[in-house]
Amino acid sequence: MAATFYGLMARFDTAPEIYHAAQQVRDAGYKNWDCITPFPVHGLDGAMGLGRSNVPKFSLVGGLTGFTTGMSMIWFTGAFDYPLIVGGKPYFSPLFAFPISYELTILFTAFATIAGMFILNWLPQHYHPVLKSKEILRGLDDAFYVVIEARDPKFDLNRAKALLSHAGAKEISELEA
Amino acid sequence: MSTHVATISSPAGSSAAGSIHSVGAAANKALVLGFVGLAATGLGVVVSGKAAAFSYLTGLVFWVAVALGALFLIMIHHVFDAGWSTVLRRQYENWITCLPWLGLLFAPLLISAVVAPGLIWKWTDPSYDLSQIGGHGTVSQDVLWVKKSGLLSTMTLIIASFVGFGGWTLISSRLRAHSVAQDTDGDIAHTHANRFWTAVGLPFTALSMTLCVILWVKALDYHWYSTMFGVWFFAGAIRAALSLGIILMIWLWSRGDFKGILNNNHMHSIGMLMFAFTVFWAYITFSQYFLIYMANIPEETFWYSLREINKDGHFNSWGYVGMFLLFGHFFAPFLTLIHYPVKLSKTWLPRVGAFIAAVVLVDMIYNVMPSLKNSSGDAYPFLSLNLLWIATSVVGVGGVCVWAYLNSFAKTKLIPIRDPRIVESLTYHE
Repeated sequence: MAATFYGLMARFDTAPEIYHAAQQVRDAGYKNWDCITPFPVHGLDGAMGLGRSNVPKFSLVGGLTGFTTGMSMIWFTGAFDYPLIVGGKPYFSPLFAFPISYELTILFTAFATIAGMFILNWLPQHYHPVLKSKEILRGLDDAFYVVIEARDPKFDLNRAKALLSHAGAKEISELEA
Repeated sequence: MSTHVATISSPAGSSAAGSIHSVGAAANKALVLGFVGLAATGLGVVVSGKAAAFSYLTGLVFWVAVALGALFLIMIHHVFDAGWSTVLRRQYENWITCLPWLGLLFAPLLISAVVAPGLIWKWTDPSYDLSQIGGHGTVSQDVLWVKKSGLLSTMTLIIASFVGFGGWTLISSRLRAHSVAQDTDGDIAHTHANRFWTAVGLPFTALSMTLCVILWVKALDYHWYSTMFGVWFFAGAIRAALSLGIILMIWLWSRGDFKGILNNNHMHSIGMLMFAFTVFWAYITFSQYFLIYMANIPEETFWYSLREINKDGHFNSWGYVGMFLLFGHFFAPFLTLIHYPVKLSKTWLPRVGAFIAAVVLVDMIYNVMPSLKNSSGDAYPFLSLNLLWIATSVVGVGGVCVWAYLNSFAKTKLIPIRDPRIVESLTYHE
């Protein structure tokens, strides 16, 4: 079976080069593409046109779930399922339910944040087409890559190649899925 | 990235030389306003006597909290060898020049403890008749005072206040002097000297501040025990100082001085600190309430009962103030500051800051004023003439603080231009 075409991978040699190339790819309107750099490049997220991460939404849901769980657990055990007077206190008060609710808020927020990060990043991911390319080893060392995927609605092989070489790519290779 | 080069060159030269005159006029106005406020408070002492003295204590302690918070933030900057806050540090260094003046403004209260003992702190007069405030016997017959009399005496009060204000003045003047001197000679020795003063100053200020607020505020009701009190004051102080910082930053930005200096990352960082200390305050205050609620010991619970119900069982106005603190001092800032765009907004962040500073004042009022009791031992209502004397005190002492700040502002460079971390701060990126 012939390997399917995944996308284009273009090499850049310096951080400013990939920074400006990313701006051009962004302005050309591509959505399914990524940058691979050996270290974090400050401001690259802006140059790629990435917005704020959606992870906080997962965190918020986790936090609210944790708080509600804590409050309802104390209410259920202390005031509903087995009412018992302890230390002359009422069966239920948000006051003594607060420490556990707050602990569960933090715990569930942490779980939701990590889970949200994994989900949004499609992790765990044991295979990715760029790993087929020997070149990617340089992407972990001293080279910077822009990868444009063929599934992008705007993708056209010749135009994408022209865009990348216009942006100053040193080498453009085709990736198999 | 290329914009950094352009921004570095502009701030150093633009120390607002042209606008010093306008600041000078504003400084004079602030001082006049301060004198008017202080004079009005003096009138209040004639009209309301004891209640106005309590109000003055409230207003004064609020501004002491702001100044000590600023001092702590400078020292925290040095002890962590922080980078991003360098551009803001100079404004705090200008602000803390008010500390000796606050000490001077505190003197009348100490004099009152000698010439009119019992006016504010009952235990400065061992023959104080407790039946005036719903108790029985005199202070010297009160076993809870007798056991604490080693600490709760006029002499300790005076010594602690002198050591406190003296030490804070010394530390703040050294920190400021070295920072300003570095603008001229660029000597790294000044940075090292400031680290020395910080290493000495942090534990000293933490201990002396705790001792002072225990004597000034907590001991208004000397029966009470709370191990959280010093930390509670610290939390409020830092929150007030961070609010001051963001307001000064935006003021300088809107004047034009901070254009090209202030970037979104500075806003985000100070916003995160404001958020963090909102949670910190809530943690401290809740712990204090919760431990007292759970243990249920009369020597502790009366402090909260006083602020919720009268002796006849009726709910009083302080209960609403307490609920306002719960929602206004925690939930409102928490839910506002958790939102990322708020932390970057030059419109909203200073508003949140002003709100937090105002609620720190309400928190001070909540801690001081109910200790002024009537003959049946109940607190006077929150809404009373005393609020007017608190307002005049806040304006009076605040006017002096603003005057001291503007005076120092006109004499120093806008930012510490030769600080080793200044470039890191100007190009700050998270």
